[in-house]
Formats: sequence, structure tokens, C-alpha cells
Amino acid sequence: MQIVLQLCISGVSLGMIYAVIAFGYQLTYVTSKTLNFGQGEALALGALVGLSLSSWIGYWAMLPMVLLFGLAQGALVERLGVRPALKTRSEFGWIMATIAIGIIGKNMAETIWGKDDLKFPSPLPETPIIFGDGLRVMPMEILVLVGALAMMLLIELLSRRTLVGKAVVATADDREAASLMGINTGSMITLSYGLSSAVAALAGVLVAPLTLTGASMGVSLALKAFAVAIIGGLNSGMGVIVGGLLLGIAEQFTAFYLSTGYKDVPGLLMLLAVLAIRPTGLFGKTVIKKV
Amino acid sequence: MFQRTHILWALLAVGALALPFAVPIPYYLHLAIIVGIYAIVLLGMDLLVGYTGQVSLGHAAFFGIGAYAGGLLMTKLGVPFGVALLAAAVVAAVFGALLAAAALRVSGPYLAMVTLAFGTIVQILINEMDWLTMGPIGLAVDKPRLFGEKLGTTQYYYVVLGFVALVLVCTNRWATSHFGRAFEALRDSPIATECMGISVARYKAIAFALSAALAGLAGSLYAVSEEYISPNTYTFELSLLFLLGVIFGGRKSRAGSLLGATVIVMLPTLLDSTVLFRWLAACATAGALYFCVRSVRSDGLVALRSVLPPLLITAGLLVFSFQVQNLNEHRLSIFGLLILLAVFYLPDGLMGMFRTVGGRPMAAPALASTAAPVGATPKVLSILDITMRFGGLTALNAVSLEVQPGSIHGLIGPNGSGKSTMMNVLTGVYTPNAGSVTLAGRQIQGGRPHGIASQGIARTFQNVQLFWEMTALQNVKVGLHHDFGTNLLALALGARASRVRESQADAQAMALLALVGLADEAGTDARDLPYGKQRLLEIARALALKPSILLLDEPAAGLTGPDVAALVQVLRKVKDFGVAMVLIEHHMDMVMALCDVVTVLDFGQKISEGNAQQVRDDPRVVSAYLGTAAA
Repeated sequence: MQIVLQLCISGVSLGMIYAVIAFGYQLTYVTSKTLNFGQGEALALGALVGLSLSSWIGYWAMLPMVLLFGLAQGALVERLGVRPALKTRSEFGWIMATIAIGIIGKNMAETIWGKDDLKFPSPLPETPIIFGDGLRVMPMEILVLVGALAMMLLIELLSRRTLVGKAVVATADDREAASLMGINTGSMITLSYGLSSAVAALAGVLVAPLTLTGASMGVSLALKAFAVAIIGGLNSGMGVIVGGLLLGIAEQFTAFYLSTGYKDVPGLLMLLAVLAIRPTGLFGKTVIKKV
Repeated sequence: MFQRTHILWALLAVGALALPFAVPIPYYLHLAIIVGIYAIVLLGMDLLVGYTGQVSLGHAAFFGIGAYAGGLLMTKLGVPFGVALLAAAVVAAVFGALLAAAALRVSGPYLAMVTLAFGTIVQILINEMDWLTMGPIGLAVDKPRLFGEKLGTTQYYYVVLGFVALVLVCTNRWATSHFGRAFEALRDSPIATECMGISVARYKAIAFALSAALAGLAGSLYAVSEEYISPNTYTFELSLLFLLGVIFGGRKSRAGSLLGATVIVMLPTLLDSTVLFRWLAACATAGALYFCVRSVRSDGLVALRSVLPPLLITAGLLVFSFQVQNLNEHRLSIFGLLILLAVFYLPDGLMGMFRTVGGRPMAAPALASTAAPVGATPKVLSILDITMRFGGLTALNAVSLEVQPGSIHGLIGPNGSGKSTMMNVLTGVYTPNAGSVTLAGRQIQGGRPHGIASQGIARTFQNVQLFWEMTALQNVKVGLHHDFGTNLLALALGARASRVRESQADAQAMALLALVGLADEAGTDARDLPYGKQRLLEIARALALKPSILLLDEPAAGLTGPDVAALVQVLRKVKDFGVAMVLIEHHMDMVMALCDVVTVLDFGQKISEGNAQQVRDDPRVVSAYLGTAAA
């Protein structure tokens, strides 16, 4: 029982990371029906930039800088890769373009920070807090949970309370109508990409002390976050949290009871199963296609 | 044009055969073998990516599955080379079909992610299942023996060359057959493809399985060529490389696949030689500069916006190549730039570029004097108490009507009255909540659209749904799909019957185009036709199904006066062939002139029915359209 609870706790913090990256996918998907296939690289770049900055200006001062970096990186991806592809109406142009920008980013990261994984110093003490009869929780795991939730809440709040937020929501609801109401929908899509990458970059910074930091740290995280976004539904905020927790816990159990090598398998199998049975996700709404 | 391409292919074949004599260096022969193997993968992938427009980021997995299947069969079970290759292709095809089955309902980005997930799972499994695959250690495979003698590089080169030739011929025959047309059709409009009696699910699965089989075949050829299989060959990067090859070489082109394979094999080799890379970058920059200057001369400085980026990219590559010592370190960045270049500036790949420079071959078959193949068995369509709800909205409420053979049945009503919903229920796009639809006594409601279409109900769409990248003639030939009985094997063997069938289909399609007055546009791409002609093309395509009932959803919407008159003439001719029609239309003069019976819907209910005169005089109809006079 003890071990089950312990596994659940580690699963929760990992799951929240998946949830927050998946949340980033949702942001761009609702506004433009596209998503960044280079999200993993955005995450890795965020973590690496954060690593370099934190040795200069300290951990807490680094966070807003990484946020800005993420915003800029996402906006760049949208301008260079997505916007021209949407203009040409090609179905997979933006997929290829975001992948291409992703691998260029990865290559640049390898040139700057090297190919080896680096250690990200933890801002919090690295001794576990003991709850009850020997339940060990790392302070960093709590920070991950709180940080991820805070990011999602903040973006939800901004989109509900501010004018720009409402413009983004309007763009997501009906791009043409929003455009007719004088909203520059192109900028809203750029903004959603910026936010999406910023969320990923901060997620990278949050998760880095728990894992290792390197140019390819984001690949499997991003793929599993996509699985989470699909499992939860690409238009459901609640869905990604539930999906993230499900997957995070499932992975911990697989790693413990089966083998760490198979750790990535349950998420991918869940992805395939959900797509085969209910492509709109567990919490997604079905949209009737008009002919 | 026809002659010239044949000569080029012949030259290529002679060159490939003579290569081991001209360049007897094992290193280069080995590279040529890899080009051949990748070409087989790309030829298969083109069927999936180029024709059906589905992105796969997991083809390295099929390549790997083929390599391990072939390798294990040969080493562990001692299965002969040829049999092992075939088995590898079959195993990969089965995986392909399974993946397609799991991903049937998704496309675009979803499919890309699914294939990516699949590729990742396969790589993990290869690594972890070491009782079978030897895990990270890898697996040694021997080259096959011929008369007790192990095959050398030169002999193996000819083996691979033989397979490339075989695959080239097969994929070419498949792609130009009704299979290829079905693939292309489902890319442009899945819903219209279904309504042409073609099962989208089935053809997607076929395309997946074919491309997987070829990747599997290539994989086992690769395993034998390298004499060693290791799990870290079959990565995401390889999948991406394959995709780059297809796009860079040119979609929907056999020559493009060969070219793409050459590019992706030579690229890493090129990066080893900085000097050669500099030369190529310089050539590419010069090319981009030439296009840039030419566009600015003809279109002025405005053109700069579109032609400057490729010039900047190529020039950037050139500068870059002088800056760095070890280009291989930056392999991924160069891939990335090439992908961007290909996606945005060479959407049709290198072959597309050659085609625009060299002019495009265009062959429309001559108009034969075949009678239009329309006449179908007359059937009665009865609709009984159909109810269709969307959530709380009842779009159709217990509507009944009967369409008599050979008649034109008008279906009118204000916007939102449920007319288009009725169309979608009749063709199986929607499944009604209650009620029944019977065609000549057989219940059809709840069936799949392609099943209903093949029973004799054809339709056009309110928003034109053509297969945009196909010519008018090909669009109609998609409608003739049901006439083709030949299977993949017969096509690959080049059965005479299938060629004869193809030319008959050309004649039939031309006759149908002539019927709607589009005979002169047979070779024009659907997207280049003016709007009115697109609507007529939809009718010709629907007629190709030889329908008993033709459903027309606002065929005159947006047409000019003369176009409407032409449409009325066409519909009269169609009626003379005995095809019954259901006509949804807002042009009342057209409805009154053509329809034998008119049914009026309002808010999902039938409010009136009768001949044109009766309906026009019905006070309920008048009030539905104009409102009631204040009392």
C-alpha cells in the first residue's frame, strides 16, 4: 500500500508536467487548428536557457526571463513555419515546418550546450519531506505541481478577464467572425503560439531538476503530452489534467512493476486506443461536420 | 513529350545496369544499393503521402520491422532469401493495416502523431525484447548464397536493382489505376469519395499496407546489404529523412522518388566533403538568384517578398558552409532548412520544378462516339417518418416522401428547414434517429455512404466537393470506380484486360463530360475550372455512378443566368435517361419548370406537397416564405 501511494505521488508531479505541455498544445489548437510539433524542443531550449541564466541571476529572477524567451520562440515558430503554411492551404506544410524548426533548434542547442546531459541545480532542498509513516515527497515535486497549476490558472484567468484574452477566445471560437469584429486574428494566433512555447519553456525549467537537462530531453515529454492532449480532448481544460495524472501514474507503475524500458509504452498505447475508440478524447465535445 | 520521357527512362536503365562496370568501386556501389533500397521505401511512401495526403512520421518502424522479420527468418529459421523478403513485406503490411485500422478515423496532425507514437513504440520494443531481437547488441545477417558462393557487392547490386525495377513498375501501374485515383480522391474530399461508392477506410488501409509492405521489403534488403541490424537505425530521424525524400523529390512521381532517394542518401556523404557542399550551395544560390532576378524583372519589386526567402536560405547555407569545419555536426539544421525550403518553395519537389521548366505533358483522350452511359434501372425511393435530431434541435421531424422512378422531385423550403439534412440522411452521411429509407424495397438507412452510393444513389454537394488536383476527366473516372474489378496483383502483372478497361473508362467519362458540355475541359484540373463548370462537373461525376436516383443540393447556387439555363438543359437530358432526381433549389423558376412533384419543408416538417402549381398556391407555403399578413 505504501509503495502504491509513493508511486502515485511521483506520478502526480510527472503527470502535471504532461498536463501543462498538453495545455500548451490546446492553446494553439483552438486558435489555429495547428500545433507545434517542435514543442519538445521548445521545452528543452527553455530549460537550457534557464540553466544558463540561473547561474547568472539566480533561479527566481530567471523565471520571467525564460517566460519572455518562450514567448519570443513561439512567436518565431508561428511566423516562420505556421503562417506561410496556412496561407498555402497545404495539409501537412505546417507539420513539416514546425518539425523542421524544432530540429534546427535542437541542433543549435547541441552546438551551444553540447550533446551531454547537464545537471540542473535544484532551487529547493534535495532532501525529501517525510509524511506519515515514511511517505517521501521531494520539495521539487511540490513546486512542479504548484507551478504547473499556477500557470494553467493564470492563463485561464487572463483569457477570461482581459480584453486580449477575450480576443483570443473569440478567435478560437470562430476565426472569421472574430476577424469581422476587428480582431487581428493573425496576432492572436501568434500570441497563442508564444504562450504555448512559454508554457513549455517553464515546464522545462520546472522538470529539469527532477530529470537531466539536454537538447533531447523534450522529445518523449512532448510526445506523451500530445497523448495526454488527445486522451483528455483537445478542447477540454479539465481533460488534460485528468489525462496527465492518469498517464503519469500509469507510467510510474509500469516502470516499477515491469521495466523502466517500457515506461513510455502505456502512454502511447493509451493514445492509440483513444484515437481508435473516441478520437475527440474522454472529455472532448463531438463536432458535427456540415456538408 | 511521351517519347522523350521514355528515352530518359531507357537511358537511366542502361546507366544503372552499366554502373558496376563504369565505377567498380565497392564504396560507390554500396551507396548505389542504399539509394535503390531507399527508393523502394519512397515509392511506397509516395502512395501514402503523395496520393492519399496522409503524413507518416513512422515509416522507419516499418523499415525496421521488415529488417528484423527478414533477418530473423533467415538467421534463426534458415528461410531462403527470397521467401524471407516476401515474408518481411507481408509482416510489415499487416502492421501497416493494423495501424491504419487504429487510426482510421483520424487524419492530418492526429495521424502524424499516431504514426510517431507507433514508431516510438516499435523502437522501444526492438530494444527491450532482447530474447527475440538481441536488443541493443543487434543481429548479424549473412548475404545469401548462390551455388554455394556468397553474393558480392556487385551481385547484390543487381539483386536490388531488380527489385527497384519491379517496384517501380508496380507502383506506377497502381498509381495510374483506379486505386491511385481513389487515393487521390480521398485526399481532396473524403466525403465526396464515400459518396462515389468508394470506402475511404478501405483505401486508406490499402495505401498504408502497401507503403508498409514496400518499406518492409526495403528493410530486409537493407539488413542483408549491411549484414547487421541494430535498433538505433530505425529512429524518428530516419522517418523524417524518408518524408524529406518524398517531398523534396516530388510527390506523385516515380522519378521524384528516385531523385529523392538519391538526395537523402548523398546528403550525409556530401556533408562529409565540405568542398563539394560549398559548390552545391553556390549552385543553389545561383539558381535562387536567377529566379529572383527573373521574377523581379517580370513582376517588379513586389515579387521580392516571395522570392527573397529562398535566396536568403541558400545564401545562408553558402556562408554557413564556409564558417564551419565539421558540417556533419550541423546535419540536423541542414535537414531542417531543406525541409522548410521544400515545403514552402518546392511544394511539388524537384520534379515539379523540372516540370514547370520543361512544360507539362497533357493528354486528353479524343471524344469517342460512345453513348453516354447513364441509363440505370429505375428504382423507387421511399422515405418514411424520418426524424433527425442534433442534440436538442430536431432538424427533421417525421418527414415522409416518395420519389417515383424517372421523376424530378423538388425539395424546397426556407433556410434551415432541413433540406440538406435530408440529403445527408439519404446518402448515409447522417444516421437518422428514427424512420426508414427504402430503395426499391431494400432498407438503406444507417448504412455507410459508400454502400448506399453503390446501390444507386448519387449526389452533388451544396459546397462544391471536387477532387481539386485531378483533371475533370479523372474526377469523372473516380465515379466510374465501381466498374473496375481488377485487383492489385492483376494490375501489377499488367493484365491486358485492365488496360482495355481503362480506355473504355476514358471513353465513358468523355461521353459524360460531353453530356454536361465539358468535353473541352477534360484535361483541366478541377480547381482551375470556373465555378459554374465545377457544378456541372459534379453532376457528370455523380452520373458516372449510373445512379437510379440523383440528389442535387442547390446545383444553381451562385450561377449566372446563362449558366442556370445551361443547367436546366443538362437536367432535362439526364431526366430523359430515366434517372430520378431530388432537387433542392432556391431558384423557384427552375423548380417550377423542372419538377414533377414538389415537397416543402419548414422547421423540419413537411408542410406541403403536390405539383408546382398546387404548392405555389398553398397558403402554408406562402406564409413559410413570406410570413402571415397581420390580422
